[in-house]
Formats: sequence, C-alpha cells, structure tokens
Amino acid sequence: MTRRLAPYGVALGGAVAVTTAIGVIGLVGGLGAVPGLSALYLLLVLWLGARWGRGPAVAGSIAAFSLYDFFFVPPVGTFAVRGPAELLELVVLLAVALVTSQLAASQRRAQAAAESLAADSRALYSLATAMLRSQEVTDGLAMVSARAQELVGVDRFGVVAVDAGGLETLAGPVLGADDRKQAQWSFENGRPVGMTIKDGMVVLMKTHGGAGAGTAYMPLSGGVAVVGMDADAAGLDTLRMLAGLIGLADLLLDRRRAVVERERARGFEASDRLKAAILSSLSHELKSPIAALRAGLTALTAPRAGLGPEQRELLTDMDRQASRLDRMVGDMLDLSRLEAGMALDREAHSFADLVAGALQQVRGQTREREIGVRIPENLPAIEVDELQAGRLLTNLIENAVEWTPPHGAIEIGAAVRDGGLEAWVENDGPEIAPADLDRVFDTFWTRRSNGTGLGLAISRRVVEAHGGIIRAENRRRGPRFTFTLPLAPVPSRK
Amino acid sequence: MSGRVLVVDDEVEMQRALRAGLGYHDFDVRAVGSGEEAVREAAAWRPDVILLDLGLPKKDGFAVLRELRPVTRAAVIVVSVMPGEKDKVRALDAGADDYVVKPFGTEELVARIRAVLRRQAAVPAGEPVIRTGDLEIDLATRRVTVNGRAVHLTPTEYELLRYLGLHAGKPVSHTTLLRQVWGDYAVGDNYNTRYVVAQIRKKLADDPANPRYIVNEPGVGYRLEA
Repeated sequence: MTRRLAPYGVALGGAVAVTTAIGVIGLVGGLGAVPGLSALYLLLVLWLGARWGRGPAVAGSIAAFSLYDFFFVPPVGTFAVRGPAELLELVVLLAVALVTSQLAASQRRAQAAAESLAADSRALYSLATAMLRSQEVTDGLAMVSARAQELVGVDRFGVVAVDAGGLETLAGPVLGADDRKQAQWSFENGRPVGMTIKDGMVVLMKTHGGAGAGTAYMPLSGGVAVVGMDADAAGLDTLRMLAGLIGLADLLLDRRRAVVERERARGFEASDRLKAAILSSLSHELKSPIAALRAGLTALTAPRAGLGPEQRELLTDMDRQASRLDRMVGDMLDLSRLEAGMALDREAHSFADLVAGALQQVRGQTREREIGVRIPENLPAIEVDELQAGRLLTNLIENAVEWTPPHGAIEIGAAVRDGGLEAWVENDGPEIAPADLDRVFDTFWTRRSNGTGLGLAISRRVVEAHGGIIRAENRRRGPRFTFTLPLAPVPSRK
Repeated sequence: MSGRVLVVDDEVEMQRALRAGLGYHDFDVRAVGSGEEAVREAAAWRPDVILLDLGLPKKDGFAVLRELRPVTRAAVIVVSVMPGEKDKVRALDAGADDYVVKPFGTEELVARIRAVLRRQAAVPAGEPVIRTGDLEIDLATRRVTVNGRAVHLTPTEYELLRYLGLHAGKPVSHTTLLRQVWGDYAVGDNYNTRYVVAQIRKKLADDPANPRYIVNEPGVGYRLEA
C-alpha cells in the first residue's frame, strides 16, 4: 500500500517545496517576480508525469495550483479563484500533467515491449542454435516442446509426424484417441484447429469446448503441433513465443522429412541392387543348363561328328526346342525384371533407329512378309530404355509376323500426339475376337498353341514402365497395336 | 583356317561340348575352369582366341580379362548369360574383342571365332585404305567412297567412321566412340553418337533397318561390318 501511495507523497512534497522556493525568491527579490516563477510548477509537473505517471502528476498539479492560489494570488490566504486567467493556469498545469504522463507511460510500455521481444528473440535464437546442433531431429523437437511448456498458459506442446504409417509422437506427451483424430484431420485438410498464426503471433480461437483450457492443432510440413493451453492465462508474450516455437517445429519436421526421404531412396537403391543380383543369379542358374545343352547338341550336328542325316535332324529338332526353352526363360526373367519395378536406363533415342534395330533383330524370321516403316523424318527423340524399347518393338513385330499370311504386309508408324509419341504396329491378317482385345496383354494368354503368352505381356509392362499405354484394335485389314512413349526433353545440342 | 582356342568355363559339360564342337571345326582346343589357369595357359600355350566366361565362380571375369592382356595377344571373346547387360560394354571397353551371349549354337560361335581370327590376320599396320563391301575409307587422303562415288562427311562423321573402320567387325561401345571422337567430356551423351551415325548412314545411303555398313549393337554401340 505504502508503495503505491509514495509517489503521491512525492507529488505533494514537491508542490510544497516549489511553493517554498517561490516564496523565498519572492521575499528576496520582491513579489513582482512571483507570476513568472509559477513556471517552476510546470517543471515539477513535467518531472512527476515522466517519472511517476498520471496519478501523481495530476495530484501534483492540483496541489501546486492550490498552494499558488493560496499563497501568491491576491487575496492571499484564500483559495478563491478569480477570473479566467487563473483557471487557465490550472487547466494548463493539468494538461501538462496528463500529456507528459501519457507520453512517458507509452514510452515505458514500448521499452518494456522491446525488452520482452529481445528476450524472446534471444530465447528463440539460442533454442534454434541448440536445435540445429542436435544430431537428431527429435532432440530438437524435445527442446522446442520443453521450452513451450515453460510458457505461462501453455499446458502441453506436442509434435506428431503424420505419414502413410499413421501418427508418430515425436515430442511432448503421447496423444489420446480424440487428439489423434483431430490432429489427423487438421493435417489432411491443411487447416489449423483452435488457433491461427497472424503477424508472428498465435491467435486463439474458441472451439466448441468453450473458452478456457482447450487444445489447438497447427498443421506443419509432415506433421502437426498440438498445443494444450489456458487461453485466459496466456499473455501476449506467450502467444508470440508460441508462434516462434511452432515455426521452429515446422523447420525441424521439414528436416526430418528430408532425412526420411533420403533414407527411403537409399533403401530403394539397395533393394534394386538386391533384385538385380537375384535376377542375375537366377538367369545364370536357368540358362547355364540350356547353354550346355545347346553347345552339346549343336556340336554333334557337325558333319565331322560322324552322325547320319536322320540323327542330325533329330539333334536339330532338339536344339530348336532348347532354343525355345531359352526364349521362354528369357521372357520370364524379363517379365520378372519388369514386375520387380527395376529402374529403367532412360536416354534420348530416335524412334526410327529403334525400329531399325528391332528389324535388324527379326531379320530372317520375316520370311515373305513385307514390312513398311512410316515414320516422319522430323520425329522428335523419345526418352526410353533402349533395350526395353527394343524388346517392345521386336515382340510386336514378331507377333505381327506370326499372324500375317505369306505376302501380307506389316506397317510400323509413329506420330506425335498430345506431347508424346504415339506409335503402332499393324498387320494384314485375322482380327482379334473383340472380347480378347484387352486380354491379349494378360500374362500367359496366347492365341497360339505353342506361344508362351509372354510377348505381349512384356510389351505392356515395358510401355507402362515408361508411363505410356498400349491397346489393341481391329482395323479393316487386320489388328493394330498402338502404344505411347514419352518424348525426350529437347537435347542441348551445340 | 584353324587356330588354337582356349575355353575358360567352370562347367565341365560346357568344356566338353566346346572341345568336341570346335574340334569338329578344325580348332585346336584346350579348356580350363578358373581364371588362374586361364592366365597361366594363355602365357604357356599361346592360344589365338580365348573364350572367357564372365561368370567364373571365384574370380571376377573382368579381373581375369585385365590379367590376360599383358600376357597374351590372343583375341578375347567374352561369354555371358546376361544379354544386353552393362557387362558387355564393360568387357569391350576393357579390351575384349567380341562377346557372345549364352546359350549359343556351335555354328554361331565358330562364325564369331573365325571373324576375330580374320580380323587379327588383316591388321597389317599402316594399311592406308579400309575396305568393307563397296565402302572405302582412305586414311591418307581422308577420302570416303561408296562404289567409287565420293561421300562428303563432316570431320566428326569422318572420325567416327574411321574409328569403326579401324576396328571393323568389332562392336565398339558408345563410351569408346565418344571418348575417341569427341573427348572425355562427351562421355555419357550417347545421343551424339546416335545422331552422327544416323547422318553417316544417310550419306552412305545405308538402310538403318537393313544396314550394309554400320550395324547397331543394342545396348552397346555400333560395329562396322568387316
């Protein structure tokens, strides 16, 4: 109590002291000097306002005016106020008191705010540096959470990561079922619940739970901040600091996401290597016996081996079957390679070159079919895996050759459509039953008694691995297979 | 024509089949099952051709290839069960003369062996003119003709054709072509070689679907028909 009243004592004492001083000067220098000396009261009121605030300043001005009126204004010894001039003096004193104290007060407030901001910044800065030094993202988040929970009005501060695997509490208390639901909702919709951040400050919003203790959710990159707080207890300092801490949590979650993605990529690479190793040893295991078979069978067909024509014919038949087995094994391995989703070796290629390469491969099997290539000269390059695309083309061409009657024609064409390459292989021959148009691409589905049912299945996988589509349709003269492949970005040729 | 062929394969069945099959085609054949034996035999017996299986169990085929080079001038044909793998390119760049994909028939293998032997015999150093069919590359005058008709090539096109010509019959990888014709900086940009080969074919009036001169080696590079 005394503390609060002390400034008023100072105000009163000051007024008395100034009055005494004026009296002394008046006695020494003559009363004529007194009216000018009343300005001393102004000084007093200014000082009171600046130093002690409005109350003492007003009290001081009233005391000063009363004392001045009593001692120096005729009739001396009374509080009578005569005329507007004296009233004006009172008004001026009061005005000075009010204005000065107001200015001083706002000055003091600004200073206090600046100090508190500086303190916040220092706290956030030291937290941020500590956080960045920490090796583990969760350590940093724990620091943020601990710091937030020290704030007045904040009961808890949790950070959860949200990904395909669900919610994972990274810092703060473990969430209950209700909290988890809310956090999930907030994350999925990208909308905060119970709070927003505006001008670097948390703004709490009423939730249906009503005012007072409540929980707010702020979606972050890859997670959610869950803040339990008492809205009435939380001051501006708390709200501002909270916004800063949420920002830090966001940064940390972002860093965590980058780390997780890097590790996932590393995992994919490792599993790709593993798949490649398995497939390569599988190839070896399956193909080596066939290799020995073919080498042996074909060795014996040499005239110098001394076998008769009938026996040699038999061996040639056997070798043909061994070759067929080899192709089937190759198809199966190719299919598993494609199904394993192994990375493609994509490069810019000329479609015409790929077609030429494929034709080179099937040369000798085409017999009396006429193959026409209709590819525009200026067709842009495509970005594909050379071997896979070659496989796609040879499969489609072989399929066409198979179904084209002798002297029939096969046509290969391409054009740019919708920013991609659309190409087709069509042949003269029997149409595909309409019900089978989709099924021809199924694994092991075949129209032939001795087909493997893998050629077109592989073709579809190759196209799909490149992000394209393939379809079969019947044209007037026979079936057509149409597929799309991606164009290469324009190469930077010098 | 006959010659000495060293078979390096860890499978006894394969060794036996090749010994018989190549023997019927007048080749003198020896077979070993490991890289160490291969290096020893290559130095001692002096084969003309070495058939090297890349899938040796103990030692990596590439390591064997590296060890073979200082001890022998034999042509090395690499054998592998993995078609179109990077292994082919690696093997060629490491000094192999050709590759054959397992399984293969004896006739095909014999044809490949004869081709490398022919190439070995036909490399008198300083031969000023490379001929393949009706294509002639005169190294001294840098003149290229098809059937006597002059073909005008850009310097890059000429360099590429010349390099293929100097290794006629042998598949040359994109990487090697890029390094030889453009320089190390160009390695990796296979579009360069494809573009230039397409230009050369156009000028030689070579049908890409049925080439007489430059043949595609899918996943590897190109080969000039010998």
